[in-house]
Amino acid sequence: MQEDENGAEIMKVTVKTFATLRQFIDKESQVTIDTGTTVGELLNMLTATHPGLKNELFDETGELHKYVNILKNGRNIHFLDKLRTVLEENDLIAIFPPSGGG
Amino acid sequence: MLTPEEKEQFIRQTPILGEDGQEKLKNAAVLVAGAGGLGTSIALHCAFAGFGTVRIADCDRIERSNLNRQTLYRLPDIGRMKADMAVERIQGVTPYLCTEAVNTVITVDNVLQMTAGMDIIIDAMDNYDTRYILADAAEERGIPFIHGAIDGFYGQVSTIVPGRSACLRCIVPHPPPRTKVPALSPTTGIIGSIQVTEAIKCILGMGTLLTDKLLLWDGLHCEMDTIEITPLKECPHCGECRKTKTEQKL
Repeated sequence: MQEDENGAEIMKVTVKTFATLRQFIDKESQVTIDTGTTVGELLNMLTATHPGLKNELFDETGELHKYVNILKNGRNIHFLDKLRTVLEENDLIAIFPPSGGG
Repeated sequence: MLTPEEKEQFIRQTPILGEDGQEKLKNAAVLVAGAGGLGTSIALHCAFAGFGTVRIADCDRIERSNLNRQTLYRLPDIGRMKADMAVERIQGVTPYLCTEAVNTVITVDNVLQMTAGMDIIIDAMDNYDTRYILADAAEERGIPFIHGAIDGFYGQVSTIVPGRSACLRCIVPHPPPRTKVPALSPTTGIIGSIQVTEAIKCILGMGTLLTDKLLLWDGLHCEMDTIEITPLKECPHCGECRKTKTEQKL
């Protein structure tokens, strides 16, 4: 665990995005966040720096599209604490909308 | 036993599959669930790989707008039932190939009958409601379910082995909206080919399957990634099933 210039504990997580999301954000990026940051807070950070992501992830009321898969180390946050899922050092966050056609 | 003619036909693949493996394929039965872009690719590759029985299920008729990607059909086929035509087109690839067309909607009421006698189910559907029905049937029958889906340049594949791997709901707990997604022949060809490769490996017990993994194809960037999927005890579907099965064993 590291500290920022103000002494707050910070950590790094890796974010990987796939399919249509790659129009708006790099495929893989390392993000530095405060300790205790949740998945929801991470998504807010990402949409603030990559505005095109917002419509891909959230509906007009600000609710996360249910069908967008967000995996924390392979575990879908839908089965964890959803957007309140707390991130940990070196977590791998994968974000992708599932394909549905045949 | 393979006949001398069959040995000759498969001489380019028995070095990797073995004659025993080829015979296993000859004795294997596969349900291709859907005869659209993915299904036509899958059915063709199953026939050429040497599967003994290929059952194809689809309730739709061929439309002109299918002919950009549903590679078993031609213009004069418009209006015909897809399953009937797909079966007709793959017949004769091997002397022993047994084909069956099922021209009905797949439902919870008919899925067990439709999957009777099958060793594997390959997903070629265009909606998750039916995918979940098929995945549940695969679980009930204890046979692998090879999930595949496409969306334009993108596609995904995962292999679900009941009781041993993450289920379809672990991978896609909430389906995307049911819309007509863009569909491209090369994408359905790539994803369908990977699904049949998984089916062959399932039957032969070869290699490493896409269990607990989701393969994601990105044709726009020509990249393929595999992400790990952790089977979840919290999953209300397989998690509870596993719990119940474990309790029953105890």
